[in-house]
Parts: sequence; structure tokens; C-alpha cells
Amino acid sequence: MSKTTSHRGGLSRRSLLAGTASLLASPMIVSSARAQAKPVNIGVIMPLSGANAQFGINSRNGIELVADEINAAGGIKALGGAKINLIVADATSTPTTAGTVAQRLITQNEVTAILGAFASSLTIAISEVTERRDIPLLTMSFADQITGRGFKNIFQIVAKASALGKAQLDYTLAIARASGAKIDKIAIMYEDTAYGTAQAAGLRAAAKAANIDIAMDDAYPLGITDTTPLINKLRASGAQAVFPVSYLNDSLLLIRTMRQQRITIPAIGGAAGYVIPDFEKGLGEFAENVLSIAPANYDLAPDLTERFRKRFGYFMVHEALEHAVALDVLVQAIEKAKSAKAEDVTMALRGAKFTGGWTKAMTGGAVEFDSTGLNTLSVPVMAQWRNKELVTVWPKDVAKGTAVWKS
Amino acid sequence: MKRWIAILAVIAIAAVLPLLLSPTGYWIRVLTFTLLFAAMAQVWNIIGGLANQTSLGHAAFFGIGAYTSTILVLKFGISPWIGMFAGGFLGGIAALIIAVPTMRLQGHYFALATLAFGEVMRVIANVWTSLTGGPVGLSVPFVPPSIAAYSFKQLLPHAYIALIALIIVTVIFEAIRRSAMGYRLRAIKENPAAAEVIGIDTTKVKLQTAVISGVLMAMLGTLYAQVAVFFDPDTVFSAASISIRVALIAILGGVGTAIGPILGALFIIPVEELMNDLFSSGAAGLSQLIFGVILIAVILWRPRGFITVFDSLMARFSNKARS
Repeated sequence: MSKTTSHRGGLSRRSLLAGTASLLASPMIVSSARAQAKPVNIGVIMPLSGANAQFGINSRNGIELVADEINAAGGIKALGGAKINLIVADATSTPTTAGTVAQRLITQNEVTAILGAFASSLTIAISEVTERRDIPLLTMSFADQITGRGFKNIFQIVAKASALGKAQLDYTLAIARASGAKIDKIAIMYEDTAYGTAQAAGLRAAAKAANIDIAMDDAYPLGITDTTPLINKLRASGAQAVFPVSYLNDSLLLIRTMRQQRITIPAIGGAAGYVIPDFEKGLGEFAENVLSIAPANYDLAPDLTERFRKRFGYFMVHEALEHAVALDVLVQAIEKAKSAKAEDVTMALRGAKFTGGWTKAMTGGAVEFDSTGLNTLSVPVMAQWRNKELVTVWPKDVAKGTAVWKS
Repeated sequence: MKRWIAILAVIAIAAVLPLLLSPTGYWIRVLTFTLLFAAMAQVWNIIGGLANQTSLGHAAFFGIGAYTSTILVLKFGISPWIGMFAGGFLGGIAALIIAVPTMRLQGHYFALATLAFGEVMRVIANVWTSLTGGPVGLSVPFVPPSIAAYSFKQLLPHAYIALIALIIVTVIFEAIRRSAMGYRLRAIKENPAAAEVIGIDTTKVKLQTAVISGVLMAMLGTLYAQVAVFFDPDTVFSAASISIRVALIAILGGVGTAIGPILGALFIIPVEELMNDLFSSGAAGLSQLIFGVILIAVILWRPRGFITVFDSLMARFSNKARS
């Protein structure tokens, strides 16, 4: 492309065109320089702008940490110490753009695999491209559809949204029972995104199975600015526990309004906005004792996750942790396949069990994909805010502390 | 005569270009979306440029088209080619429903009313889960490749379909512009009161353009769904990435001209991609910031659109040819 530009150009604009041409050619020069070391290109597609940018940045940090560690330790041994070369790209918040970006990474950068893209809708759009091009896609997006479509090249590292929703309710009941409280009436509030609706459906089904009355079941638009009507309804409902499922800003608004109105019933968040440092920063003391379901938590493997805190200055949020695990598993698969070819790596990933390294940080202590690509060993955990940290309080066998339940 | 040769030459270049790109590659995808957005902006131009009604709700018709054909293929196995016309029909009805109460509004008021309509459609698609799949979105099923099923393994046929669509809507735009209806629209644009006085049924003419624009926009929604393969309510009913973008493309290129939307799309879509390619691995959000700065610079440089650059180039060439 750059060549045609410079040939067609007139003499008077030569310098301008030369500048443009070199700008256009710069990615090619960079990639050819790297090609001499034969690195393995791995695509990282994250929402780096828009509403979910913070989650995308967290995820990228986790991936960069692992990539740098592996490279520093001598790269991929089976490929003669080949270095990992991350190609990071912005998925924005539009699924179609995410798909186009995936197409670019596959054809321009010849990536072995792609990691991404936090938000389920972006991941689904990317998977439509990777599936047609037979490139493995490793993700920590929750949506059930991700591994529910019979795709062969997708790997979901965490439990599905419906399982998270079910655990959110079941764990809560168990925690309440353990502290001598009884719940028979709950409230559900969720944002009307793919993640919110899927997780709410899991909550609803679990509540029905446990014979619990859902006194309030309300969807609200992402980016809601006034939660007072919701909170008024919550007060009137007489619920003994509230299950909000939302990203960051909504979660801050909901909990703040609730506590300011002196509604002190336990709040059990649905991961996302409830388990990142900004939640505590935005709410201060109101955050204390708020519970949240999470696909993983950093306190289960402090020896690994403290490295993240040391480098980036905040605790290793779950999306960073799961993406770190995803990259570790991918590299293990490349080592096993002794090849950086996408189809060999997919073969090595499918149906295999991965242990050691970052997989220890997951519940189950390992990662094993079934034929749909779902990690069957991953079990959600319940975390609670205690003095600016998230403490795993359930299930009992992995818990690092006892849950505080004040009803 | 010369004009026709020039037009044919441009079409010939456009027809050959996709063949030079890798059929499974990245640039052909960018080209396909560029052609699609050019066509969408051209359709917007029918109402935005000719009738001078700045619609910010064209995502509504677009989404109706995408959803109609995809739901028909998912639930009944009906080919998207037929679904495209079903979507066009529903898009036309939607345009009629929205146009009747809003056509009397002018300027900002019309823009805001249409913006709200797009948003209403997004909420409906989000809530009506049994039909639309809700916020999770819909995936176009992958059926064995065939022209009849509108299913291809490669992007190349999609690029040609988008090119043909662009040519068709451009011809429709130009035909309307030159027809009696075009003259009526121009009269309304200049002075609505005077147009009424000389016997033009302004409401009827505006309604006609709104319905034509709605039908075509919905049909393009089907093409988009077939290329993107997956979409959710936020994608196809988006104010920012559909409604405002098509208006922006037409305005940046030159409102009310047949070439404007094409120039606008040829600039906006590839530059946006290039910025993402070059800068998105750096600081988060940097690529969009740079893209925004470029847009501002371009609008300051050519407030009346790229068409002015195009016109002055044309003038220079014809002067040279004469001397």
C-alpha cells in the first residue's frame, strides 16, 4: 500500500509522501526485525477505550506480566527459546470492530492464538472470526453462549455466567445459614447487558430451586444515573439480601444510595464492578463487608499474585488473574505441541489438563477443557471486602476467612 | 459523454480492487465495510441531503433490517435475500410511523426526535428477548456456502455485493435528485413556505423520501449482518456507531451530492482502522483520540466537505485539458 502511494505522488509533495509511506510501512519494518528471533505472536484484543476500558487495561496488565516473566525465563523452550510477542489491539466497545481487529491480527500479524476480550459481546464477535480461520481463542468472558455454540477453537477459562449466578445465590444461602440467619426473600437488580441478563437468569433459576421468593427482579440500563427509584423499590420489597449485577459506575451508585438510605441488608455483587480496587476507592467505608461472587480471587495464590501488585501497584483483579492463567495455559500448549501453528496448539489445548504455573491460582488448582472448550475445574468463589482487600470466604475448603453476615 | 467515461472508469477500478486483496484478509473486510458505510451514508443523504432533514435515527431502520433477515433465517430458514426485502418492508413502515409525527419538526427538533426513535428500538430489542435474543445478540448461522443462501466462505463476494449496493443506492439518489421530486425537495429546502404556495405538498414529498431512505437503510442492515455475522442491540441500534457515523460520513464528504458520502466513507473507515492499527497498542484510547483530532482538523480545513477538494481538482484538470 505504501509503495503505490509513493509511486503515484508528485515531485512537490515528495517529502510529505515519504513521511506517510514510512509511517505506513513502520509496522512492517518492526515485524520483519522481530522475525529474525522467530517470536510467537499472540494477539491480545481488549476494550481499551470506552466504558469497559479499565477492565481491558487490567486484563492487559495480567497478560503482560506473564509474557515478560516467560520471556525473561528464556522464552518457549520447545521452540528454541522463542520469545512471546504480544500484539495488543483496542476492541473499542463495538463487536464489529472487535471482529475486524481479530481479522487484522490473524492476517497481518499471523498470530498463533488470541486472548480476549473481557466483554462477552466482543468475545462472541471475535470468536466468529477465529472459528472460521481456525485460530484458538482463550477467554474469561462469562456468557453461556461462548462455549454453547459448538465452536471448536474457543476456550473458556472460567465458569459460565449461569453457573456464577447459581453460585452467587447458593453460596449466600450457605453463608447465611452458617451464621444462623435465614433467607426467604431476595431482590435482584441487573444491568441489561449480555453479562447482566445471563447472570440474573442463573440467580433466578437457583432461587426457584431453593424455594426462595424473589421480591424484586429489575433490569436497568447500563450507565444509569439515578438509582433512587430502584432503591425505593428495594426498601418496599422487604428483601433480606440484594443481588446487584453490574459494572463499576452502576455498582458504586447502587451501593452508595443504599447505604445512604440506611438499607443495611447484605449486598452480594455479581463480580465485574464489585471486585476491583476502584469499588473500594469510590465507596470507602460503605464497601466494607460487601460480598461478591468472583470466578477467582487473588488471595488463593498470593505467591503468584503479589508479583502483580508489586509491578502495577494494586491487587491482582480477577480478570488480570484469569488472563494470566489463559496465557500460561496457552504457552504450556505450545510447549506440548512443540509448534506455534494454530491448529497444533488447538489440538494440544482440547481435552488436556494443565497444571503448575499460574493454573494454581484458579479454583481446582488446574485447568482442564472439555469438548466444548469450557474449563470444567473452575468453581466460583465468594469474596468479601475487608479493610480494602478482598477475602475469599466461600466455599469452605478454599476460604481464607469467615464471612461476616449482618442482617 | 466524458462524464460517463469517468464514471465507468471509477466503477471499473472499484470492481478490480477487491481482486488485488487477499480474499480472506483484513483489508478486504475494511473495504467491504467502507463500501457498506458509503452506501448507508448515501441512503442517509436522500433524506439528510435532499430533504434537508438531519436524521440521527437511521440506526432504527438499519437494525430492523439486520434483525428481520437474521430472525427469519434462524427461525424459519428463509434466505437472507428474501429476508432483506422483508426487512426493507418493515423499515419502510417504521420510517412512515416515525415520519408522520416528526416531519413537521425542523432542524434540531427533528434530529432529536429521530435520535430518540433509534434509542427506543434499541431498548425494544434488548427487552424482547424471545424474539431478538435480548442483549446477548444474534449470530447469523453458518450454512453451506451458496449464493442462494447468501453464505460465502470468503469475504470477496461480500465486497462485490456491497459495491453493487453502493452503485444502486447512488443511482437512486441521483435519479431522485434529477427528478421532479428532486426539484420539489430543493424548493422545500430553500423556502418551505414558498414551496407550499406554489402548490407543493411538502409533507407528502418529505414522507416519500423518508420511506425510500428507511427501506434502503433496512436492506443495507441485512448486508451488514451477513458480513459482521454477529450483532447485538448496541451494535445495530447504536447512535454513535451507526446513526451519527453515517451522518458524519455524508457531512464530511459533502451533503446533498452523490460523491460526498463515497469520499467521506473512503476517508473515515480506513483512517479509523489505520489509527487503531498504529496506536491502539500504546496508551489505551490513544487511537480514538488521534482519530478525533484528525476529524476536527479535516472539518476545519474543509467545512463544506471533501467534495470541495474534489471539485477544485476537477476544475484544475479540465482547465489543463483545455489549455
